[in-house]
Amino acid sequence: MRSSLLLCVALAVSLGTILVAGYPVSPDDEEYVLVNNKCQCVTVTSRFVPSQENPDEEVLERNIRIIVPLKARENISDPLSPLRTTFVYRLSELCKTCKPIEIELGGAIHQAQQGNSCEEPQTCYTYDRNQCYSSPVPLLYHGEVRQVPAALTPASCFAE
Amino acid sequence: MTFLAFVFLLALLPAGSARHLPKAAISSPVFGPREVQAVLGGSATVKCFYPPTPMNKHDRKYWCRLQGSRCVTVVSSDYVAPAYQGRISLVDHPEAENFQIHISALGRGDTGTFQCGVGVNGRGLSHTVTVSIVEEPREAAELFYVKLRSTWTVSCSFGKETASMRKYLCKKEKGGCRNIVDSRLDIDPDFQGRVLLTYEEPPGTFSVTVTQMDWEDTGLYYCGAGEYGKGNNSRELDVFVYEDKNFPQLKTKVTGKTGGSATFECLFNPLKSSTKFWRKLRKQGGYETIIDSTGFVKYNYEGRVAMFENPQNKTVTVILNQLQAKDEGFYWCMSDELKEQQSSTELKVVEGKPALTGDKKVEAEAGSQLDLTCSYPCQYYSYEKYWCKWSPTGCSMLPGQQPGVPGPAASCNTTNRTMVLSFDPLAEDDEGWYWCGVKRNGAFGETMAVRLVVSAGSDAKHSPELLEVDSSRESGAVPPGGAHGGAEVRKGAVPESSDERRGSNTLALVLGPLAGLILIVVTAFAIVKYRQLKRSDLVSVGSYRTNISMSDFESVRDFSASNSAKETQETPVGGDEFIATTDTQESAADTTKAKRSSKEDAELAYSSFLVTSDSIAQGSSGGDSAVPDVSPPQDRVSPWLYLEDHNLGKQHCSSLPQFAVA
Repeated sequence: MRSSLLLCVALAVSLGTILVAGYPVSPDDEEYVLVNNKCQCVTVTSRFVPSQENPDEEVLERNIRIIVPLKARENISDPLSPLRTTFVYRLSELCKTCKPIEIELGGAIHQAQQGNSCEEPQTCYTYDRNQCYSSPVPLLYHGEVRQVPAALTPASCFAE
Repeated sequence: MTFLAFVFLLALLPAGSARHLPKAAISSPVFGPREVQAVLGGSATVKCFYPPTPMNKHDRKYWCRLQGSRCVTVVSSDYVAPAYQGRISLVDHPEAENFQIHISALGRGDTGTFQCGVGVNGRGLSHTVTVSIVEEPREAAELFYVKLRSTWTVSCSFGKETASMRKYLCKKEKGGCRNIVDSRLDIDPDFQGRVLLTYEEPPGTFSVTVTQMDWEDTGLYYCGAGEYGKGNNSRELDVFVYEDKNFPQLKTKVTGKTGGSATFECLFNPLKSSTKFWRKLRKQGGYETIIDSTGFVKYNYEGRVAMFENPQNKTVTVILNQLQAKDEGFYWCMSDELKEQQSSTELKVVEGKPALTGDKKVEAEAGSQLDLTCSYPCQYYSYEKYWCKWSPTGCSMLPGQQPGVPGPAASCNTTNRTMVLSFDPLAEDDEGWYWCGVKRNGAFGETMAVRLVVSAGSDAKHSPELLEVDSSRESGAVPPGGAHGGAEVRKGAVPESSDERRGSNTLALVLGPLAGLILIVVTAFAIVKYRQLKRSDLVSVGSYRTNISMSDFESVRDFSASNSAKETQETPVGGDEFIATTDTQESAADTTKAKRSSKEDAELAYSSFLVTSDSIAQGSSGGDSAVPDVSPPQDRVSPWLYLEDHNLGKQHCSSLPQFAVA
């Protein structure tokens, strides 16, 4: 009788520890960023959500958010170019990891490119907030026309 | 052999390099209080932080009231709403990376949900604050705006009477407050090695320092005395992590080989002439100082550790050599001036052969001619090499050998890849520790320490030792003559003893490496087998090489073939249901693995390579892989496109190229 009581107490204690320590360590909304392309204004995130068919299972949900800058020019650095009417989003390109990583090989640190064809510049549909864009404008000065750069994004053009 | 080295390196690759960022990384970096409470008729101050980029510093700041989907400006850098005229102000403090909104004469109509932000719209750079009028406002949480990868320090004090109580820092989570660190040295595994609790004056005061702040560390913390939730001895701390692209990324983990050396980098402020300490975290709590910038070196560390200051790039380099397994642990750089300068690094020591080789202890008599040698492998061929004389305050560089200059001189013999430090003649005060090391682009690399003992007078016992020095160098190649004439002569004087020694050495020379080679091959085979068993993507070894050989492509094609075979099973079905089933299988498997092992993480690191190589392989095989562009199941669209995924969770760009969202 006593031993079974002891067993019950032990069980309760262990159950208690499981219940107390059982809460998830990380926050509830565990959502991860797959793509955050500021150039084309695309973010892709993913997270696990309970399946609609079977609530006991989790399925992966991927959220793709695209902000389309409708007033952007074909060439964002040239305000005289026509308005952009086609916006192409290739997820294969967006998902490319072009950021080189540092790896250590034989005691030396090397830069390793993670993706292929990363050299081709991407067409941007919008301005990067931290970059200064300028366009040359003709200026008549002392009877002489010269091209001077004019800031397209003045707030981004302050020096550090 | 290179392949073997590769296999070893794969095992050593840092985990988590392919980890995806949490959503917090792209959410708004503007931060402020969650809630502001004030009394009726009183005043309130809202402090909002923003990343100090040049653009943000000059941009418009605003405070607006959320009304449905709109946000009506109350006050901005150049505007005040009529209803608030005369009782609201917005002051920008770019140097303190924040701006403050001060509202006085608060009325019932001033409550609600507001946003503070930077820019002209509420997109991306704003923070939501609730303002409420209460009878008794509770103490607001203290705000901490912390740079990613930097150090957070908080000091808490609850009076003298709490001096003997347990002190803690915990993080609020669903269902309670997770203990991070307490005075009983109960440390959360996620914070192991990067959190330190120290007592300060007056009694009852303590401070907690957390290094390597990461995205996940954002949240509400409580520091307190006693137990959380009991009594009033606790303080609320609201911590927010933001990214500063200019903040240097220091290595958080350093791996060294037994007998080799490890290089640690610490940040410091060159404008402050503070004392810098390098300390090792003790398992039983606290730390021990190993070296500091005033010349203190811990007992047993003489000749092993040195500190090099480089004010140009605001770093201090600490090198520890003659590594042993017991050196593993967490090392902290500290300064007596600023707490922000602290950083921590984990040291791992693995079995292996150090790259620099030579005699570790040399005895010679004063007045003789002596060469200290240090052999380096081909990988260091283009590196800058040096010899330096160790002292507690650093390691002073010895000048390269110049013909005709007497005294100790360092030279590099590139033909047989040895560095020679010559003493001619050897003086008694030359005794001590000498380091030979390599450097690249100013960054210190591996080092090897040699202890030189100078004995007075001529003693016949020491001559075999000297010969050993010579014969070991001789195994490399013929010395370039000239300066080494003395050594040659001495060698000629006792030829038979030298021969004997070589004879007995031959057996060891043959058997030793042979045994080592067998051991390496067996280990490599075991690792390869193990990885194959785990169905790993070992083919992606190629991603860490700049030029990929054809054999790599073949193996990659194998992989892609099996991959596409799997996909062709799926594609004919096409419907949502089948995708959903594969999904759940894999995701269920994923969720069961709460934490990935570091090995798996390392494997995941290659998947990006596999994506690209996959497409290459498909292109090269002439489209026989038959992966049609499947249009995505776009059942729920706008403003977000929901795509069902049939690949693994956190590493799934590989499945993306099949979708075409245009």
